[in-house]
Amino acid sequence: MLRHLFKLIWNKKGAHSLLIIEIWASFLVLFGVLTLMVFNISNYMQPIGFEYKNVWTLDLNNNQDTTEVAEKMQRIMDRIRSYPEVESASRMSSNSPFSASQMSERFEYKKAGTQTDKYIVDEDFSKTLNLPLLSGRWYQRQDWVAKFIPVVINKKMQTELFGEENPIGKLIKIDDKLSYKIVGVVDKFKAKGEFMSDNSAIFIMLDKTRQWDKNILVNTKPGTDANFEAKLVKDIAGMTKDWGIEVSYLTESRKTRHNLTLVPVMIFLIISGFLLTNVALGLFGILNLSIAKRRNEIGLRRAMGATEGNVTTQFLGEIWVLATLSMVVGLLFAIQFPLMNVFNIESRIYILAILAAILIIFLIVTLCAWYPSRQASRIHPAVALHEE
Amino acid sequence: MLANYIKIAWKVLLRHPFYTFITLFGISLTLTVLMVLASFVDHLLGAHYPEYKRSRTLYITSVLQTDSTRTSRSMGPASFKFMSQYAKSLKTPEKVSLSSMFGFTNTYVNGKRIKLNTKFTDAEFWYATDFEFLEGKPYNEQNIKNGDHVVVITDALKKQYFEDNGQPVVGKKIEIENIVYQVIGVVKGSPVTRVYTYSDVYFPYTAPKSNYQNAGLRGNFTAMILAKDEKDLGAIKAEFDAGIARVPKSVIRDGQQYTILEVKANTYFDQFLYTFMRDDSVQQKVIFYSVIFLVLLMFMGLPAINLVNVNVSRILERASEIGVRKAFGAPSKALLWQFIIENMFITFIGGGFALILSSLIIQMINSSGWIAYADLTINLVVFAISILVCLIFGLLSGVLPAFRMSKLKIVDALKS
Repeated sequence: MLRHLFKLIWNKKGAHSLLIIEIWASFLVLFGVLTLMVFNISNYMQPIGFEYKNVWTLDLNNNQDTTEVAEKMQRIMDRIRSYPEVESASRMSSNSPFSASQMSERFEYKKAGTQTDKYIVDEDFSKTLNLPLLSGRWYQRQDWVAKFIPVVINKKMQTELFGEENPIGKLIKIDDKLSYKIVGVVDKFKAKGEFMSDNSAIFIMLDKTRQWDKNILVNTKPGTDANFEAKLVKDIAGMTKDWGIEVSYLTESRKTRHNLTLVPVMIFLIISGFLLTNVALGLFGILNLSIAKRRNEIGLRRAMGATEGNVTTQFLGEIWVLATLSMVVGLLFAIQFPLMNVFNIESRIYILAILAAILIIFLIVTLCAWYPSRQASRIHPAVALHEE
Repeated sequence: MLANYIKIAWKVLLRHPFYTFITLFGISLTLTVLMVLASFVDHLLGAHYPEYKRSRTLYITSVLQTDSTRTSRSMGPASFKFMSQYAKSLKTPEKVSLSSMFGFTNTYVNGKRIKLNTKFTDAEFWYATDFEFLEGKPYNEQNIKNGDHVVVITDALKKQYFEDNGQPVVGKKIEIENIVYQVIGVVKGSPVTRVYTYSDVYFPYTAPKSNYQNAGLRGNFTAMILAKDEKDLGAIKAEFDAGIARVPKSVIRDGQQYTILEVKANTYFDQFLYTFMRDDSVQQKVIFYSVIFLVLLMFMGLPAINLVNVNVSRILERASEIGVRKAFGAPSKALLWQFIIENMFITFIGGGFALILSSLIIQMINSSGWIAYADLTINLVVFAISILVCLIFGLLSGVLPAFRMSKLKIVDALKS
């Protein structure tokens, strides 16, 4: 049967080559779009790991004022914590959640190493963002020892560096004078929002005597409004005359981050949706014509005793073989992506995209071939042969 | 004769509405995508409000410090000091303007929060750009020298902050981060996609918090160099490069290990590409262009293949028609013209639909507020080129096979 189908297709290779090119190109376009979608959806399925609902970010900039910056920062922190509207507050580096800024560094332990997002945060961080610990605890003020800076890592970094070993108490050596001591492990921390992949992350205890890392996360009580915000900004500006202050809500910055991912995906999706509709319509038209042209052949087969089902199966089989041929060629291209690890995306995602693309192509060709072949198989043999 | 051909073409189109629909759908879809894309690129790169002089402007937007092995690098805008020393001092240009990248802040009025973008500029900024002043005037050298607390705001901010619509606000006070400024002018706002001119509030660079005093090489300032004439651009680049070559090693080192300084005065288009590429090498450019080319080829190639496919498989339909016309003495040339006109006819109908569709989409983008002050327009040059491409594909797939068929013997054509 299959051999026969191949023979039928081979006999009309000229006419079919265009069809093969069309299906091949659609497959590649689908593969690209689906990779983008699968990647983002699989990221979206994983929780971000912390709560951002009532949290504000204060981005402070000391501008030309370089005297006693650390002391002023400490006074500002104390002031913020004293408001009744504030649940808790935490000082951190500029790469606060949903911000555009990023810090990363490669960390090594024995032979293993991993590129890790680095966050410099103080001891109130996990409380302010409600970031639960899987094991160990968050570092505290008394943990501060100049040679062993306490750190908390996430689950991903734990598996990358330590595998199944318990990381609590282990030291990550930075240089001869400095090591990071792991005191706790959190599950996930996707600081750039749901669409970010679950990267390795490390939280390093903030040195309060340093003059940088001047972002403040403020967890406010529910119902706090812009009036308090204005008061807060006015108070801080009163304490530090030349400083710049920018307040943003995490809920808003999260939306901005999401749009950065969603808008391009939506545009691609709309365009390729129209493209595939176009291809499906074209395919339907072509198949309709080419099947209608084979009335005699159908009449003959029906007269020789083939059922309606047999005829339909033959045409469907032909288009399936055609689609398979073009997708084998397409696969030669697509499989390079997981093999060569292009864009550093997990091969699982590419494979899923390929499988989904194959499925959708088969669905489209089947839908397009179904109606014309049903139509053709209903021809009465006598009528078809009479025309001849 | 032409009217006759068009009449025939119209009848042919109506004979199989479904196939006509497929062809039209393909043509208008492809053209619409192309045109919306083109107007977007034009919006990003073309000379529009307030940067009408882009064609004779060079931009210095970032400096790159690195070491000879290129292992560590630092890249970003330069400090005001560096820019005024090496850009502002140029002799060839007409004007050199320095302005900061836009920053963020908030201001509060009546318990309401207004998000603001801020920009610090010199007085030449208003000369290098073509902002439309709805009220008042820009700040001048004197304001800058005095360190006056004056600002130019956009119409959108005026509406938000002063609420009472229509009243002039020049001379009124606006409080930003606990410092009171006097509004000196109101301009029509510009879209955020023009990052070197976009802002909500413009301060003279001597206003507080601009950090123009920073001593190092890196800072927050970019430069726009306005040439007297487009022909001078090369000379300005050369003069700037010569100046950069003389930057002392100690300035480049900047307290770190850097030995190499790369900074270029580029046209807007070049610096736009530059932001997408890690370095300026030919290899990077080739990769960039080939990726764009491949994506476009895939997206535009698919409808083209589809069009060719449908046309080729429909050609047999016309065999008997060709036979009859030849039997009645029509020469091959006449047949050829008939098919060409028929193809042009359908392509232009598709083009018409595309024109309507894309202007609808562009209107939607402009009014959706997705980009504030968006001013996308339909680019007729791109429209003409894409119509031409569609025609070529149509002719290749529709006319060529038909022409071949018209060479058939009449008997064979009639037989089918």
